[in-house]
Amino acid sequence: MTQNVFTLEISGLNVSSHSGTRVLDNISLQVEPGEVRALVGESGAGKSMIGRAVLGTLPPILDKSSGHIILNGKDLSLLSERKRREWVAHNAALIPQDPLSALNPVRRVGAQIITPLVRIHSWSKREAEDRCLSLLDQVKIRDPKRVLKSYPHELSGGMRQRILIAAAFANRPPLIVADEPTTALDVTVQKEILKIVRLLQEDTGTAVLFVTHDMGVVAQVSQTLTVLFGGRVLEDSKTHDVFTRDASHPYTQALIRSTPDYHSAGGKFVPVPDNVIATLHAQMRERLS
Amino acid sequence: MIIRSFLARFFSTLVTLFGVAVVVFVLVRIAPGNPIAMMLPPGATEEDVARLRALYGFDKTLIEQFFVWLGNVIYGDFGTSITMRLPVSELVLQRLPATLELSIMALVIALVLGGSLAVFGARFRGRAQEVGVDISTGAALSVPDFLWGLLLILAFGVAWPVLHISGRVDPHMDVDLTTNFYFFEGLLLGDFALVSSVLSHMLMPALALGLPLAAMIAQLLKQSLKEQLDQDYVNLARVRGHGETHVILSEALRNAALPTLTLIGVQFAFLIGGTVIVERLFAYEGLGNMAIDAVINRDLPLIQGIVLLFAVLFIAINLTVDLTYSLLNPKLRHD
Repeated sequence: MTQNVFTLEISGLNVSSHSGTRVLDNISLQVEPGEVRALVGESGAGKSMIGRAVLGTLPPILDKSSGHIILNGKDLSLLSERKRREWVAHNAALIPQDPLSALNPVRRVGAQIITPLVRIHSWSKREAEDRCLSLLDQVKIRDPKRVLKSYPHELSGGMRQRILIAAAFANRPPLIVADEPTTALDVTVQKEILKIVRLLQEDTGTAVLFVTHDMGVVAQVSQTLTVLFGGRVLEDSKTHDVFTRDASHPYTQALIRSTPDYHSAGGKFVPVPDNVIATLHAQMRERLS
Repeated sequence: MIIRSFLARFFSTLVTLFGVAVVVFVLVRIAPGNPIAMMLPPGATEEDVARLRALYGFDKTLIEQFFVWLGNVIYGDFGTSITMRLPVSELVLQRLPATLELSIMALVIALVLGGSLAVFGARFRGRAQEVGVDISTGAALSVPDFLWGLLLILAFGVAWPVLHISGRVDPHMDVDLTTNFYFFEGLLLGDFALVSSVLSHMLMPALALGLPLAAMIAQLLKQSLKEQLDQDYVNLARVRGHGETHVILSEALRNAALPTLTLIGVQFAFLIGGTVIVERLFAYEGLGNMAIDAVINRDLPLIQGIVLLFAVLFIAINLTVDLTYSLLNPKLRHD
């Protein structure tokens, strides 16, 4: 037994659609306890699919065809469907991408975030409510008691995302998957939300798999990052190293350069160069043939 | 706020009813056919005809006739049926429970059957089971209610005669009830012999009326369920350990039901219209059957009474749908 027990260990994960298109190709990555790992890549690179594979919410047309996902010491592929759901519910939580569709519109907010604590973690109703109130306070929601009695449409997008973040951290799960939690929000709210995620993460010591396409966000929240392209891992390194030294992969270098930065690029946007993309596509074709 | 919207609703209802009254009154009088001629034996004199016309007020102008009729209606007097020589209100109210029971039974069948098919199809979306639901609902929809009636008669009345093909209740049965709601009152009194007799008469016409609506509900509800199942709040429920069936029933269903409810409101009104032909087919003693006789005999007061009652039913259904809608959707609730 190694000394280092990972919170999440993915090895050789393949996911393909029913028609045979490979969405994830031999993905391997680890997340240590308390680590924030960013998953970056352009749309379609498969970054969200890794999170969904871990949580068991892949769209029905996709199938996990092979590989292992070990969450907090248990290999999910060895568990029965019911056992897997229970294990995931106990050991992981999700911060969804779109706060506007992530709360059930016909149910009160309180019922949506308190009931799971009572049901999954067998807390008492009182205990769950107290925990939610203090968390809502921590994510800077004013008058949390009123908010618990509200319906989602009565709250703003930023408020809803803060509620969802509080709900994800509520039972201090070992792992949280944050699926582009700031993409649907405007820039000023984004910053606030990132601050809250970092604060709660440090407070609870939860490991986070942070899916994003924004290298600026990566620099702000993560210690490590995994760069994906076409369903494959291109690079896996420490965030600090990638931003201070030259990244090892030309695609990662290009991604960093493409991050809009008013001061260094003179206000110009530098896209990922075509030849880098072309090389990657050529490599993919070679692999497939 | 509530009082104001209630008043607005009340007045728009009155306007609608007035419109219906005008249209019906004018239409049945423009239509060819002479009710007086049908009442008199051959060889009646001109004088007899004129006397009878005066008795029913047909000698006055159309506008005069209308306002006399409307004035009486306001006091609850819908006139006297020409063919049956009884007050229209009495005749109509006596038949209304039969039609209501039949329509409600058809609606319950449509809701249960359509709802379960929708949940089943959404649960197994993208698989053979969903294709099965699509094919069967498509087939059920393409057969109109009266044809369903004939098919059901062939199946359960002729080939495997387990149900009654005509009437509302066993004619030998002693029905001694205070209302004409045989089924509901029978249930309340615990008279199961009566209830089972009523059911075995009502089941086929109710199925004929309910099957097309069930198919419509299944198709629309399944589609809205599938849309809801891609939403993030459903994913969140899955991450919290809920199985797919639980996720559909306790998270997605209430949201998906909203568009379906609108459809049910509109289609239930059509369903009540459908009772006219289906009741005839099964010789079921309801309003629809009575309406056909009234039209054949040019029984003008009776036609007017029945159509006005149908209009009131339509409005009541719409009101119920709107109330249920705001009950299900918190966005429509005002404090």
